[in-house]
Amino acid sequence: MATIRSATDLKDVVSAHISSHGQPAIDLALAVLGHPETGYKEFKTAAATAAAIRSLGLEVREDIAITGMTATLQGGSPGPNIAILAELDALPVPGHPNADPETTAAHACAHHCQLGNMLAVAIGLQAPGVLESLSGSVTLMVVPAEEYVEIEWRNEQRMAGRIEFLGGKPEFVRLGELDDVDICMMTHVTTEDPHDGFGVGGTNTGLLAKFIKFVGVKSHAGGAPHLGINALNAAHLAIAGIHAQRETYRDEDTVRIHPIITRGGSVVNAVPDDVRMETFVRGSSINAIRNANEKVDRALRAGALAVGATVEITTLPGYLPLAPDENLTELHRANAEVLVGSERVHEFGRRGGSTDMGDLTQLMPGIHPYVGGAVGRSNHAEDMVVDDYNLAVLDAGKAMAMTVVDLLSNGASEGMRVISEHRPAMTKDEYLILQRAFLSERSYTE
Amino acid sequence: MSTVRELNRIEVKAAVRRVIEGSADEIIRLARDIYEHPEPGFTEERTAKVVAKALTKAGVKPETGIAITGMKGIRTFDGEGPTVAVIGELDAVKAPGHPGADTTTGAAHACGHHSQIGALIGTAIGLGVPEVASTLTGRAAFMATPAEEFIDVEMRWGLREAGRLGLLSGKQEMIRLGAFDDVDMAMMIHTSSSKVQRRFIVGGTSNAHVVHYVRFLGKAAHAGGAPHQGVNALQAAMLALSAINTQRETFEDENQTRVHGIITRGGVATNAVPAEVVYEGRVRGRTMAAVDKIAARIEDCYRAGALAMGASLEIVSIPGYLPLENNKDLARVFTENVITEFGEDALMTQADTVNAGGSTDMGDLSQIMPALHPYVAAADGTGHGIDYIITDYRRAVVDSAISMALTVVDLLSDNAAEARGIIDSHKPSMTRPEYVQSQAARLRKIEYRGE
Repeated sequence: MATIRSATDLKDVVSAHISSHGQPAIDLALAVLGHPETGYKEFKTAAATAAAIRSLGLEVREDIAITGMTATLQGGSPGPNIAILAELDALPVPGHPNADPETTAAHACAHHCQLGNMLAVAIGLQAPGVLESLSGSVTLMVVPAEEYVEIEWRNEQRMAGRIEFLGGKPEFVRLGELDDVDICMMTHVTTEDPHDGFGVGGTNTGLLAKFIKFVGVKSHAGGAPHLGINALNAAHLAIAGIHAQRETYRDEDTVRIHPIITRGGSVVNAVPDDVRMETFVRGSSINAIRNANEKVDRALRAGALAVGATVEITTLPGYLPLAPDENLTELHRANAEVLVGSERVHEFGRRGGSTDMGDLTQLMPGIHPYVGGAVGRSNHAEDMVVDDYNLAVLDAGKAMAMTVVDLLSNGASEGMRVISEHRPAMTKDEYLILQRAFLSERSYTE
Repeated sequence: MSTVRELNRIEVKAAVRRVIEGSADEIIRLARDIYEHPEPGFTEERTAKVVAKALTKAGVKPETGIAITGMKGIRTFDGEGPTVAVIGELDAVKAPGHPGADTTTGAAHACGHHSQIGALIGTAIGLGVPEVASTLTGRAAFMATPAEEFIDVEMRWGLREAGRLGLLSGKQEMIRLGAFDDVDMAMMIHTSSSKVQRRFIVGGTSNAHVVHYVRFLGKAAHAGGAPHQGVNALQAAMLALSAINTQRETFEDENQTRVHGIITRGGVATNAVPAEVVYEGRVRGRTMAAVDKIAARIEDCYRAGALAMGASLEIVSIPGYLPLENNKDLARVFTENVITEFGEDALMTQADTVNAGGSTDMGDLSQIMPALHPYVAAADGTGHGIDYIITDYRRAVVDSAISMALTVVDLLSDNAAEARGIIDSHKPSMTRPEYVQSQAARLRKIEYRGE
């Protein structure tokens, strides 16, 4: 008869097992680093990840939201289901040392390490005698397309019915993949301090994504500019209008608006008649995002109005703000402190970036801690590289696996407490209604 | 048979010239005095007094207070006939830093109008010689007109709201009030700083324009403590100006479009979000139709600035000037006198299409009657700049007076045959009532809420 083992004992076993058996996790991360792929196109990455999971003797359900997958580790008795997430995708970063020369995709956000640290969790929990001591299950959840990029292409996929949401996790929610998940957790790599430790507890902004097309009239730019309507000037003025309103955003709303021009004219000597922009509208609350989005729309319409052009604005649901669960944060922080010492675990504050882990934290208790081990100006920069895979993959995996043990050992009493004390901001149905209401396609000629 | 021999035209002209030459010091002194006391349009109170006194002294006591500071003195010659107006403009422009600028108002005669007044008085004196008067038929009207420079729009709009003005420039308003109803043709000479080695420049045209008086209306709030509660009207105006600038590539060269303006109110305190920003602007072009078309685009640019910021907007679109059309026969008579008096070398003739880009309300007059608006090259510097100075008062005042007076002699001699011929052959583009109606109809107030 198995003895009931203390959480501390189990965590020691799990941690030691990851140290001794964790090499496949690092190998997976390095393999994925070598073939970066952008969202909903992570086919090689998915194949490598599925193979790595299968090599642990686990069954893999594949092709969820195009490239996503799940696998489950069952504990010895029933209890909560904890999802450990990892993101498959890279993002275009030309000039990154590991960039794909053709697509420029690069793991400049180090999602490849997430695949590694997720695998490390599975390896640790498979240490002899651990799973049978846990009440509940752990779902390895491998999701596509966290980076909200290539908006025009993804929007086409949406219109073709291949996806509804442009981000992988909202799509997983829609497909019911989170329906039986009670708690979720994922560790992201950062270039921020501490380079040799963890960052916990920070919040992220939510976002709406916008795809904008200014339609003007083409004419010879030298011979007949008076017959044209310059769509690039419309875009230029729209961006100026966006900037002019920045002083109206409250600090605490962490509003971020940062457009790019994806098409700016076809030839220098023709008045540009088709100019396209993509932008995010980010904010720390749904109201802040809505407020900023109205102002952005006004500015876009003003750009078109000023030159007599038409503007077509597609607003796409993006991500919700990240609201990490405090109980989970404390459990994870304690484990991280055991691993690297309390001086190397920093409290993160309000952050400007966004993640679709935010969506999950609106629905259930979840955390999205950060781990160091990377250098560079910032994530998404061409000089962002991981230089400490032991930390980013193995220690990050250990901290999550130990937290799983905290939650599911002792009859999952801690897990039940976390679930019962959490007040989800919305139900799945409410979430889908909210996100779908953000979708709009409007054309303005004023 | 008369015992007094009538002078022939050469003798008449010699007498006129002699009298004007004799008054040269006096009329130059008058011009310099006005230069020393520059007053912007519709506030030319002192200038008007000086001019009225001088006209009265020259024997043509004027009716004053027409269009606030304008005036008109009539000399009636021998027998019924046409009325020829000689015009001088009373107002200064604003050019702070100009050596002659009023330190309080910034007004300065950086457009040389003061020498027009000298020339006007000189012409009145020249045509006042009794034996000259008896050889002419009809009348000469000596008119001093206010406010040719279309500035201080807010102040003028206030005068209009108070019922003191109908149209907002001097000649426009004097036309509206009927001061030109008994005038058949008009002329004036403007100074020029052109470097041509000629005394007079005849011909050319000027731009049509429309005047915009625009108020961007936002919401005040503490700019440090609560900028999110404010709506920044200055940003709206800045965006509007940027938007206007993007339109420049669409302006056709041949239209000689000019779009320019000033911000007369840009906020009241640095630490408050500006809630009201006022812009005065112009849209100019070769034809009224072209101006209207571009002005519609520009109005959209103002709207765009307001829309971007969620601000409101009031645009008052004020009828500006019509393009100048010099009457060819008046030009011929004037030209002949210049050549006779000063020689072939004194004259430069410009094609009707030559357009420096500016505008004048002589353009409006020229659309309803034969009109002439030559230039006298007597200045140095840039028009409306701080360096625009009359360098040759003899030319600007005395030579101008002589050539206008002699032109009037030719027009009204021989029972005013020349003037009558000009009237008969001239086809005005509109009647006076049509002019007043169409200008009034072009006045529009537009309100817009950016949302």
